[in-house]
Amino acid sequence: MVNDGVSDVAVVAQVLGGDGEAFGILIRRYEPGLLRFATRMLGSPDAAADAVAESFVRAYRHLAQCRDPARLRSWLYRITGNRCRSHLSRRGNNDIPLSEAPPLADPADAWAVVERAEQVALVERALASLSAEKREAFVLKHVEGMSYEEMAAVTGARIPTLKMRVHRAREALLAALGALV
Amino acid sequence: MNPIDPRLQEALDGERDPGELSADQREAYHRLMNAGALLATTPVGSVADRVMAEVRAHSLQVQHAGHTARAVRWLTRPRAVTFRLKPLWTLGVAAAGLAAILLLPGEPSRLLSPGAAEGVARFVGNFPGARSVEVVGSFNNWSRGSLHLEDENHDGIWHVTTVLPAGQHEYMFVIDGERWVADPLAGRYVDDGFGAGRQNSVLIVRRNTAADATPQ
Repeated sequence: MVNDGVSDVAVVAQVLGGDGEAFGILIRRYEPGLLRFATRMLGSPDAAADAVAESFVRAYRHLAQCRDPARLRSWLYRITGNRCRSHLSRRGNNDIPLSEAPPLADPADAWAVVERAEQVALVERALASLSAEKREAFVLKHVEGMSYEEMAAVTGARIPTLKMRVHRAREALLAALGALV
Repeated sequence: MNPIDPRLQEALDGERDPGELSADQREAYHRLMNAGALLATTPVGSVADRVMAEVRAHSLQVQHAGHTARAVRWLTRPRAVTFRLKPLWTLGVAAAGLAAILLLPGEPSRLLSPGAAEGVARFVGNFPGARSVEVVGSFNNWSRGSLHLEDENHDGIWHVTTVLPAGQHEYMFVIDGERWVADPLAGRYVDDGFGAGRQNSVLIVRRNTAADATPQ
């Protein structure tokens, strides 16, 4: 997350005051995480980019509706999660394509990169076998590192429900990884 | 699919030291934590240019609409006009003024003058103890500060009457500048589109039939 030393609340006030360019600060701040989240949910970098771009535009147009700008991150993840679910429902099922693995950033050593890419591909295949609900629960908890409270703000689900979802997702992922090795 | 031991779940939730786990559980713990780390690879590429192009286009539209609205406000703003009357005319003007007041309809909404594609909307809410109440909605781009309710009698009943474009609008009340609440009297609600089960109130403004009936 990019921290330009200005709080989300201050940036939101700046944008709502008519400085549209300030929205770029929020994009720089949250784009990497949202792209990562959407890519894991949709399995396709192109579809993820579309979902994140749509989410940012929607967030900008409805920024005045953000009731708690101090929790902007949760609000943006909620919008992006909704866009991802919408993309998945248009696709007709929860399956995500396996052929479109996201590219890796900053390859340094060729052999290590290949080895790591294989490991990533394996985990992605295992993740793709989970339902969208479990996939979202695992990604928010273990990839985005959210607390259950923040996950509740993002998904609208209750904390006990989310804990159960994460527990089931871990079991399913372990089983899928075991079957793939 | 085997259920995971609760101790392993606790360790993965950060509620237990992984060192307390058995060897098998520790292996599963590291496998899942490693999976999360591998998936945390950040994809390359950016949507910033696409989004900012939309933002700039939208800002221009809003600016244009803002200029138009300011021009309309300037043209329709009430202004004080002073007449200097000769003493003999004063009696006649006073009689004409009295007649005009008596003939004016009493409903406050009638004092508003909606166009053919507009209608009068009245917002009423019971918010005892509130210091301020305003309405934000699709008709004012969800912006605060443009439509405030009043409670002249200090009885907790807040109201405002305004002219809005005919059609369906979504709105919320903002109490004391921070608490967003749906209108309990709206009768119709829609999901706010941001998940979490929150709902906006729905208002349908009918076209001003008096204006329709006005000959062109």
